[in-house]
Amino acid sequence: MKFSQNGLYIESYTKCTNCGVLIYDKIDQAVKGPDNASYCSSWCIDWKKDRDARRSKVKVTS
Amino acid sequence: MDFVTMNILESTMVSICREMGIVLMKTSYSTIFNEALDFTCGLADLNGDMIAVADYCPSQIGGMPLLVRSCLKEIPLSEIEEGDVILHNDPYRGGLHTPEHTFFKPIFADGELMGFAVAIGHIAEVGGMAPGGFCGEATEIFHEGLRIPPVKIKKRGKDNIEVWKLLLANVRTPRVNYGDLRALIAAVDLGEKQMAGIFQKYGRQKVQDTVRDLLLYSERRMRAELEALPDGRFNFIDHIESDGIEEDRKHTIEVEVTKKGGDIIVDYTGSSPQAAGPINATLGVATSAAYNAVLHMTDPSIPRNSGCFRPIRIVAPPGTIVNVDFPAPEVGGNTETHPRIVGAIMGAMAKAVPNRIMAAEGATHCNFVFGGVDADTGEFFACYDLEAVGWGGRAFADGNDAVDSINGNCRITPVEVYETRFPWRIESLAFNADSGGAGEFRGGLGYTKQMLCLNKEIICSQMTDRHLIAPWGLNGGGEGGTGATLVQKAGEEKWKTMREAYGKKSTSRYSNVSIREGDRVKLVTPGGGGYGDPGKRPKELVRDDLHEGYISKDFAKRAYKYQEAE
Repeated sequence: MKFSQNGLYIESYTKCTNCGVLIYDKIDQAVKGPDNASYCSSWCIDWKKDRDARRSKVKVTS
Repeated sequence: MDFVTMNILESTMVSICREMGIVLMKTSYSTIFNEALDFTCGLADLNGDMIAVADYCPSQIGGMPLLVRSCLKEIPLSEIEEGDVILHNDPYRGGLHTPEHTFFKPIFADGELMGFAVAIGHIAEVGGMAPGGFCGEATEIFHEGLRIPPVKIKKRGKDNIEVWKLLLANVRTPRVNYGDLRALIAAVDLGEKQMAGIFQKYGRQKVQDTVRDLLLYSERRMRAELEALPDGRFNFIDHIESDGIEEDRKHTIEVEVTKKGGDIIVDYTGSSPQAAGPINATLGVATSAAYNAVLHMTDPSIPRNSGCFRPIRIVAPPGTIVNVDFPAPEVGGNTETHPRIVGAIMGAMAKAVPNRIMAAEGATHCNFVFGGVDADTGEFFACYDLEAVGWGGRAFADGNDAVDSINGNCRITPVEVYETRFPWRIESLAFNADSGGAGEFRGGLGYTKQMLCLNKEIICSQMTDRHLIAPWGLNGGGEGGTGATLVQKAGEEKWKTMREAYGKKSTSRYSNVSIREGDRVKLVTPGGGGYGDPGKRPKELVRDDLHEGYISKDFAKRAYKYQEAE
């Protein structure tokens, strides 16, 4: 979440691409995924990768 | 762990939270507080972890940790002083929806900050497009009332007058709001005072160590509960019928629950993109709903605190109906979408633990909100009215009749109070026969409330659900009855839906309908789904239901093959 320079309002809301938690600028350390999106943790990168793979497999076989 | 001290301290802290709630109930002005009890009081540590809570509103209980943590991201501990009271309601920063106002007050011991007393309450009138805060046709947050980032409403024990003026200038009922806000502050004042006494009695270190152990104890017990459940991935999809804007478009809630050992992951990926209308849930709601569902299927004697929540991880993709992005509307997410998320998680887990899961409940609070100028006093009034629904049948009992939906735990305002406070006459309030889904254990019943307007005009809005999609049954049980909202204009005989009478896009979500003196409104609430094969229901119970008027002769014959000689 990016605050204005004077700290009085929010310029943009950044959320983890996977789990949706807010990532606060200058407080939380965002992690860049292979898709260049922002994630809150490496767990979220792995979880999304596994889920996408699992679901695409289900779609192919069904 | 010193179990004896831990037990005493836990019970004491829960009692403090209950006492905070009683103060709030007794000093507030609105029926939503002093009758419905739509609030929650708790205690938090410096990490924002909830360390104790009273048994009030589940949606607020589960939302509390994220709310406090979000505030602490913006107001660091170093800037918090004795006597401060912080207020927050921003849905996009950990909040639940705009009406839900969170107050927290720091607790100091020997000059050192130790934690917070927290009170969350649903303020009945928050400004915005419709009186009562639930604008069924809102398309952006700015229609839904005043958004309050974390601000100090009191600084070092003194009112922050500028904040008060801003708050009260933006609502229709400033006198009542003032009383309700003061009641919430009275609750955190009491919590702070009582906890300061606890620190004095036991000493800071002892309390901190014991609380740490308490959270660990809850976590261990929750993990033990989860370990006893079958591992696997369990899926469920449910639908919400409309968002009030896009006519008859269904919205999907998709849930995948992964249970492995003592951990559980609730993943909402696949749920619909955020809606144009106000049915979107915030991250706080999606989080709270997952906690609520897990608490409903595990041992209720586990102390309720953030320790219980540690084994639960939530995946709520942004920009979806379960994690709304600014500036989309969201007020119905906390009341309507929350119970549907809980239902979807329970539907998924029914495959793993069918004996712990009930069939679908009514899953709406009806949210009939209204306001106007009282003809007698000349003062503007506003009310957030919630109504009860039937709950789903269970593996061991029928569903509860006419109780608040699963995330509310609120009371229904008594007819006498309703008529005294607002210009309506309640002409009837009765169970809906046949609304409980058939089953070995039938669903609970919804009811119908018929009201006559006594004021020159009352402006009404509503955010409800289940007019089209009935609550599902489980393990062969039948669907529960659907709800309805009908209006009969003065001098007319026909009862019409809001779509027929006022050209609204949805029968269940609409705003700013002008009900005139002599008009009647009928609120029909949904029942719950049935559990198990109706053929296995003992005939004596079917007979009793028939004689009590819970089911009709036709329903008894059709659903249970039961017929009595004329």
